[in-house]
Amino acid sequence: MRGIESPRLRRWLRVLLPAVVMPAVVLGGALVLDERRHLFVSVAVAACAVLLFLAGIERRRIGSRRMVIAAVMIALCVVGRLIPFFKPVTALTVITAIYLGGETGFLVGAMSALLSNFYFGQGPWTPFQMLAWGLIGLFAGLLARPLKKSRAFLLCYGLLSGLLFSLVMDVWTVLWYNGRFDPALWLAAMGTALPHTVLYAVSNFAFLWLLARPIGEKLERVRIKYGL
Amino acid sequence: MYSLSECNPAVAAVCLLSAAGIAMFCMNPVILALSLAGAVCFFLVRNGAGGGKSHLFFCLLFAVLALVNPLVSHNGVTVLFVLNHRPVTLEALLYGMAAAAAVVSALYWFRSFSQLMTGDRLLYLFGRLSPRLALVLSMAFRFVPLFSRQAKKIRQAQRALGRLREGNIAETFRGNVRVFSILLTWALENGIVTADSMAARGYGVGRRTQFSVFRFRRGDAVLLALTLLFFGGACVSLACGALDMVYYPALVFPECTPLALAGYLCYGLLAFLPSLAQGWEVLRWSCLRSRI
Repeated sequence: MRGIESPRLRRWLRVLLPAVVMPAVVLGGALVLDERRHLFVSVAVAACAVLLFLAGIERRRIGSRRMVIAAVMIALCVVGRLIPFFKPVTALTVITAIYLGGETGFLVGAMSALLSNFYFGQGPWTPFQMLAWGLIGLFAGLLARPLKKSRAFLLCYGLLSGLLFSLVMDVWTVLWYNGRFDPALWLAAMGTALPHTVLYAVSNFAFLWLLARPIGEKLERVRIKYGL
Repeated sequence: MYSLSECNPAVAAVCLLSAAGIAMFCMNPVILALSLAGAVCFFLVRNGAGGGKSHLFFCLLFAVLALVNPLVSHNGVTVLFVLNHRPVTLEALLYGMAAAAAVVSALYWFRSFSQLMTGDRLLYLFGRLSPRLALVLSMAFRFVPLFSRQAKKIRQAQRALGRLREGNIAETFRGNVRVFSILLTWALENGIVTADSMAARGYGVGRRTQFSVFRFRRGDAVLLALTLLFFGGACVSLACGALDMVYYPALVFPECTPLALAGYLCYGLLAFLPSLAQGWEVLRWSCLRSRI
């Protein structure tokens, strides 16, 4: 599998894509394009996620293995969403990011949102879900070392990521309702969504508490055994 | 000419999106009526008389969207009646109906679009843009049913071993977590085997070509040419301002110039093209059958 050759270009892509390009695509898509053309925005974000993933690969040989593992984790997130009482997307994204790097985490988070919405219903909210879950994965990858070391910090991150997801999704709520961004409405939307945010944060906490160690061990084992 | 469900996905997408696109950028009542009629007709041709609930929902949506505008906006010179010391005007009512027709017809078009564009067709369309994205997506698509089946097998095995008791919520939850963990181990090993198998078959060595069952046949070319012809005609008419309609402060209907009539004709044919293609295929099929 071909990676991106120039290290400088890779470094730039790794900073610019998540920080500038993708938020611009999502917000621009919501503001400028008609909300009926959401699928194009979703695909654009997905393409950016793949580009970011490629920018994160330094050695060529591991690329295709890591890509297949990412596809496996995406499919597991989707299957997990289909099991009753079970919404492990955030937890799986965070764990993947810790063990396989932030770029893979971004890819897994963003693509699970896109793919699972084929089962749960696509809509103008899809790009925002992709961005929110992708960023949760990316930040987890950046904080990988402390997250791996301290369980308490990992659980706190689970709580915070529920909040982050809610923050990004409320931007969508405001844009959908109002047509343009308004900080007062944003605060109001967050206040209304508070019960959901709390539920979400608590469920992330529970899933990370249950899944972090067993899944982490498995990913670590695969990583060492096959040199990902 | 083939029906849209038979023809090349790119042609189907161009056809539906151009029909829906013009109706989104134009507030001309004739164009909107044609768009609504074409969208509903295509939906009925594809789905038969079923789906009464969604039709009812769309009717209600149309009524609500059409009636909200005159109650909120009080522009316009022709006052129909006064409600609560506020005038309700004919112009606002017509504008509301036009906007409602635009929204409802777009919803009908996009319902047909999502019925036509199944996962493999979308992959065919977007796989051209980014082969790697298409690969990740199609692998994950393939893994979802595979893992669901494997999860079922694991659950049955666990139940037979007596390790999966479904008493209270805590036990059910713990059992599901164990099933998930077993599934994960299996899935990761399986994924590595897949990756090695791909590498052994030469993935990543050179440029990849794609297999797809969709070809570009003569019928597709005919449909695409007709779509582009009608779309172009309607666009020219729209761009020259022949179809401009003024709602406020007083209604000014567009004049019946030849250009405007040509625009209506082109858009009418474009809006009914999907239904006509479907009808043509039904006709040809019955013709072929009668010959046997």
